[in-house]
Amino acid sequence: MKVRVSNIQRFSLHDGPGIRTTVFLKGCNLRCPWCANPENIDFEKTKFTNKTTKESGFFGQDIELMDLYSEIIKDKLYYKVNNGGVTFSGGEPLLQIKQLEPLLIKLKQEKINICIETALQVPTDFVKIAAKYIDEFIIDIKILDKDECKKVINGNIDLYFKNLDFLSKNDQINIFRIPLIEEYTLKKHNIEKIIDLLNKYKCKKVEIFKIHNLAESKYDSIGKEMIKFSEIESKKIEDVYNKIKALNVNVDIIKL
Amino acid sequence: MQWIKNFILNNFSETFLVYIKLVYKYKRKCKSILKTIIFAIKALFKFYAPSKKFIKGKQIRKLFNKVNIKINDEDRFVYNLDIYKTIHRDNRMIENVTIDYSKVLKLSIKDFKDINSKLKDSEYKENQKELLLGIEEYIDRECKEIEKSNIVNKEAIISFLMNIKDKKAESFEESLQRILFFNQLLWQLGHGLNGLGRLDKILEEVYNNDKKNNKITRNEAIEMIKDMCKILHQNFWYKSNVLMGDTGQIIILGGKEKDGSYFCNELTYLFIEAIMELQIPDPKVFLRITKDVPRELMELSLKCIKTGIGCPLFSNDDVIIPKLISFGYDEEDAYNYVTSACWEPLMVGKSVEQNNIDSIVYIEPLYKMLEEENLEEITEYEELIEKYKKYLEEYIINYIEEINKIQWEETPLLSMLTDDCNTALKDVSIGGAKYNNYGLTAVSLSSVVNSLYNLKKFVFEEKKYTLNELNEIRKNNFKEEDEILRELKQQPNRFGTENDEIIDLSNMITGCVDKVLDSQKNIFGGKIKFGYSAPTYISKAERAEASFDGRKNGEPFGTHISSDKASVAYTELIQFATKLDYDNHRFNGNVIDFMITPSFIEDNFDKMIDFLILSISLGFFQMQMNVTSSDILIKAKNNPKDFENLIVRVWGFSAYFNDLPENYKNLLIERALKNEGKSI
Repeated sequence: MKVRVSNIQRFSLHDGPGIRTTVFLKGCNLRCPWCANPENIDFEKTKFTNKTTKESGFFGQDIELMDLYSEIIKDKLYYKVNNGGVTFSGGEPLLQIKQLEPLLIKLKQEKINICIETALQVPTDFVKIAAKYIDEFIIDIKILDKDECKKVINGNIDLYFKNLDFLSKNDQINIFRIPLIEEYTLKKHNIEKIIDLLNKYKCKKVEIFKIHNLAESKYDSIGKEMIKFSEIESKKIEDVYNKIKALNVNVDIIKL
Repeated sequence: MQWIKNFILNNFSETFLVYIKLVYKYKRKCKSILKTIIFAIKALFKFYAPSKKFIKGKQIRKLFNKVNIKINDEDRFVYNLDIYKTIHRDNRMIENVTIDYSKVLKLSIKDFKDINSKLKDSEYKENQKELLLGIEEYIDRECKEIEKSNIVNKEAIISFLMNIKDKKAESFEESLQRILFFNQLLWQLGHGLNGLGRLDKILEEVYNNDKKNNKITRNEAIEMIKDMCKILHQNFWYKSNVLMGDTGQIIILGGKEKDGSYFCNELTYLFIEAIMELQIPDPKVFLRITKDVPRELMELSLKCIKTGIGCPLFSNDDVIIPKLISFGYDEEDAYNYVTSACWEPLMVGKSVEQNNIDSIVYIEPLYKMLEEENLEEITEYEELIEKYKKYLEEYIINYIEEINKIQWEETPLLSMLTDDCNTALKDVSIGGAKYNNYGLTAVSLSSVVNSLYNLKKFVFEEKKYTLNELNEIRKNNFKEEDEILRELKQQPNRFGTENDEIIDLSNMITGCVDKVLDSQKNIFGGKIKFGYSAPTYISKAERAEASFDGRKNGEPFGTHISSDKASVAYTELIQFATKLDYDNHRFNGNVIDFMITPSFIEDNFDKMIDFLILSISLGFFQMQMNVTSSDILIKAKNNPKDFENLIVRVWGFSAYFNDLPENYKNLLIERALKNEGKSI
């Protein structure tokens, strides 16, 4: 069995507890204008050309699960402190969950902590498979208004809430991650909806972050243009932080 | 003019080169031709070296009586270095040494005189006798000048110095002054790259006594350490060897005890705190660690590293000490190791082993093979490897022959402070010490490994080119062959990655050298060690042709144990390094070299500590981090005046970025950009 991967990043410290290896899977059903991994949007292999070095090639390769497993366990010795392990990110990693399942079984047997970073707007069956193996779900909160979500990011908010309900019943919501974008997620009505969501679904932690422009060279290399968003004032970030803190929720401002 | 007299007496000897070197160093510092000419003229009049018609001890005594003594009223301690006066030399000076300061703290000149009086009559004995008289006279001269000065701590310093004559050092402050006194003698006598040794260990007793008797507080101790470091940092330009900052002034802290426990004390922390607060590139800290190192000590060390001053360097005793013992050092000595200059283990007080004589350049025998062999006849990869090994063996044998031509300048001071010299009545320069081995550094291993792997893949497996074709393209510096250059450069299995073939190839090459060295001895009958790290990754590369790893003419070689591949994770490099063989002769400094940004450490501090502690258990040998960002370096290069205090790690030392030659600046920028995943 193979999965389509764009990058395997060892010594990854941002996506879950401890020292981790993050596997970036190709393909996403959403189209977030602020996406930091544009090379992972299409499931099809994406051609790139580095404008400076002239290096060219394709983002995305099909990897046998056993080969992927071998890569993941290379840093196994580093995983043993503070629940380090592997994180599946993307793209939307849940879209390849069926293909990934044998690997997840093996990782589980090896007692390797598994995280998944997901927007959760996928069929619930996919979430159910993941729920059997995943130790920590890192779930994005993006645009929560149904129409706006559909229009801006091609999302399905009903599916999102249905999946949240499912994970919530199993007490499997670990981290909510909120990208702050002046033009979208930071809109007053969206923040209100986020607060409502956080009131309803318990989690261990909320992480909020400003989007960055580090993906510019990747956009360039695949012939796409990165949209520039307004710089957010620190005060606005603090306001969101305080609103979430007021819910008695553990919240962090993180840098990605 | 005294100097001309000396010059004629010394028959255009090496001493003249000392004068030239002094002028060169001054030019390096002031960067002005006019100022340098003025300095050179002034120095010519002031320059002095006692005539070589006297025995060495007498020369030293004369020198000590001649040095100009200057007391700086602002300093807590007295430290005198007359840069215009030196000792005559016909041979290479012994450098890269750390003396056993615990010996000079416990023994007075009177004790050394007593020891000397029991020696059999000989020139060796006479040399030391003169040396000791010279030191006493120097102390008297210094005290007279102090008496005339307005230095705040006048009475205390005079008593500290007079005590050197007949008492052991009693207090922490006195001990620091005594260390500085003997350190100044080493520099004055022309020994370069003088390490400072295990200061937390050797000062423990006096510090604890002072604390017990309420004579010192923690804060006072830090201030004293800072004052000592500031004084050692004076004349930074003069003390620097090849590059500004390369002084070898390294303080060793922590370490594994014979019972397996980890040694550190309050002073270990105080030294790191002092260095961190000072923010000067020199002296530097070298922390010996084990898997039992306290987490809080690692936290303090990382905080210090995060400031960008490039230290401490971590040295893993769990790996190093067994290698030292199996090489042949006594257990007790191995557990007490310090370093020669940057990182090469040295048995303190038992040897003045020259561990940094020169660098093996692995790529040279490859070039020779390509030049001399009929490449069309090499049809199998295995044949290529065998041929390279043959050339490498010859290269090493010739190399040792050259090294064995070096004669060392006699040095009664080092001999007096080194075990076994008195018993043998032999100066260290002729093999009087307990251990008399040599050490080599090594460079360009990564280029050879990557080159051989690329040849295997593209020539022998894929048959894309013949060896001859690719060699011609290489010799032509890949001119108009950008595609091929890119292909060679981007081949992903490279030195620093966990590819089994790459690891085997690396070990095979160092194994070949190791085997040759089994049968090689130095002029003293000592063994020859080597390591994976070298300071020469730029200097030896400058004249080196392009190589099959995608390196063009003159481009730098890899820095120590590092990867030229941008995407290699720190965990991968560590695990690669732990798979390299450090057995037998291969322990003469093996440093993993990381580029890392301050914000990365800041944002992931606890995880970085976890990473470091886990990496110790995995068994890396040594590790240093260059904490900087490409943004800062580029700005500093363009606007040097705004970044006068920016410190970077160079090979085994820290330096002001502004003091570095352009090619060193460029390499740091290039490595920082790669580390941050930015295009260059």
